[in-house]
Amino acid sequence: MATNTKETKVKDFNIERSAGEQRKLSYKDETCIGCGICEQICPVEAIELGPIGAIVRTGSDEAKICIDEEKCVLCGMCSVGCPVNALDLEIEGKPIREIETYPRLISSAEISDEDCVYCRACERICPQDAVTVARVLPDRSKLVTGEIDIDKEKCIDCGICEEMCPADAITIEELGPNEFDISVDEDKCVYCLVCKRACPEDAITAACRGCSYGEYEINPEDSEIQGKAVIDEEECVRCGWCEEVCPKDAVTVVKPFKGELEVDLEKCETCGACIDICPCEVLSFPKPSKPGEIGEKVEKNEEMCIYCGACEKVCPNEAITVKRTGINYTPTKSKSWQKRLESLKT
Amino acid sequence: MFFVEIYINIETICVINTQGVHMPKHIASGLKYLAAVELTRDGYSQKKISKMLNIDRSTLSHYLHGRNLSLSSIEIAELIKEFTPKDFLVLTDAVIEDKEATKTIVKTCLIKKFKVNVLDTCIGCGVCVETCLIDAIVLDNLKAQIDPELCCGCLMCEDKCPTNSIKIWEE
Amino acid sequence: MELKVNQDNCLGCGNCVVACPVNVSLRPEVSGGHGPKSEEVIMMVENGVIKLFSEDKCQKCGTCQLFCPTDAIWLE
Repeated sequence: MATNTKETKVKDFNIERSAGEQRKLSYKDETCIGCGICEQICPVEAIELGPIGAIVRTGSDEAKICIDEEKCVLCGMCSVGCPVNALDLEIEGKPIREIETYPRLISSAEISDEDCVYCRACERICPQDAVTVARVLPDRSKLVTGEIDIDKEKCIDCGICEEMCPADAITIEELGPNEFDISVDEDKCVYCLVCKRACPEDAITAACRGCSYGEYEINPEDSEIQGKAVIDEEECVRCGWCEEVCPKDAVTVVKPFKGELEVDLEKCETCGACIDICPCEVLSFPKPSKPGEIGEKVEKNEEMCIYCGACEKVCPNEAITVKRTGINYTPTKSKSWQKRLESLKT
Repeated sequence: MFFVEIYINIETICVINTQGVHMPKHIASGLKYLAAVELTRDGYSQKKISKMLNIDRSTLSHYLHGRNLSLSSIEIAELIKEFTPKDFLVLTDAVIEDKEATKTIVKTCLIKKFKVNVLDTCIGCGVCVETCLIDAIVLDNLKAQIDPELCCGCLMCEDKCPTNSIKIWEE
Repeated sequence: MELKVNQDNCLGCGNCVVACPVNVSLRPEVSGGHGPKSEEVIMMVENGVIKLFSEDKCQKCGTCQLFCPTDAIWLE
């Protein structure tokens, strides 16, 4: 008969049972958002959510949840219910989200490579820093077309063109006493003609072919921006801010829960705990539009809410209600699993 | 009738009766003998029986011809056969030290039949699978499946089930 | 985890008393900076330093610890 062993490392822990079949439940505290869904779904009451307000706001050493390894039976319900994969059950080394018989929450965030223009709006807005956008800019010299020539007979090496050039394309080199050489790097030059206009000796002849004749010389393929926008699955909480701000509608976020968020402003005493705990930056103190204006106590952007319920758990005045009206999960034949997943509705 | 005491601890198992102390290997031999007799009656060949019970053929042959086995070993074994299924199973498993032979002995010697029902409250945690000493349980689609043919009615899985989803009763 | 005070560090500023959302909901006069009218609050300043009264009401939101300028009140 196997007993469970627990291994703790700082705030993370693993619970293992290794009799015939090896099962391991691992918990990553940094990923945990303190929603307490694991505590709610556990069929043997082995999980306890800690005082998340204090833990998150005061940098405590305590982990957000505690699992009693003597009660835990490594069934995996907490792992399936967790909306951010902070809990992960592995059976014989394989995570249960890869095992067909186990249901999974339907939850995803994807950026379409075709539509993305790598503007980085998603990277900037993501409250979890889960998005990384890498981009390779086109070669500037391929996007301009023109001619430039400096008449070295006329040039008096005053250096005014070098100083004025916005692209640092002109270089005057001192070769000896009062002997200079002037050159233009045509890879940098954008044919803006500022040097030509500024030259006191009219020593520069230049023309921008694009301005004069049109852009037929420029190859549209050369102006394409290459890049890759990646969402880190371990960090993403499916808030949907990226989808909200994307100017090209290139992001699709599917949330596991549907629901309603309500704040009772009568009970709220603006302690800010809900604002600090929310992983999705849904809640905020409103900014007054003019000095002395008193607005609502707390504002919400409910579109970004994932209905995790952490705010409800943390509010010291019970001013927040989070209702979950729909749970999205892959089909399962197990009636007990269906029942427990449905029990997450409130 | 003789007085029997049984001491079971982690290191040693021994059965004491008025005729002296019996070491585990004697008890094991007695149990294997009983199973061998049953299996012979059921028509199994000696070759098959020796494999099922993990004893070499010559030893088996001696046993079946009443040699190399003390009467008291057999008596002890007969007594153990009358224990509750759980005690019989646990003791056999402890002295036999061979999973397959234990399974054979338990299946052969226990004549009681059991009915099994796993309720829909089963969560597929697998604790029963680990608990069952004779591998009568597997998980299928997150639900325990217990083979009633193999089940010996020890009820250890029923005891350990965290959701009280296992019901086993005598037919 | 429970509420702890260090009266030696305490300035008696009363920030925690005013900031505590449970205090304010129990005794609304506290949010105006007044002392509470009864001891049903979690903590208040007495004789110039902070003292815990009804700590069982503490919901461990951490607000007092965030507002205290001198580490005189915290959750541990």
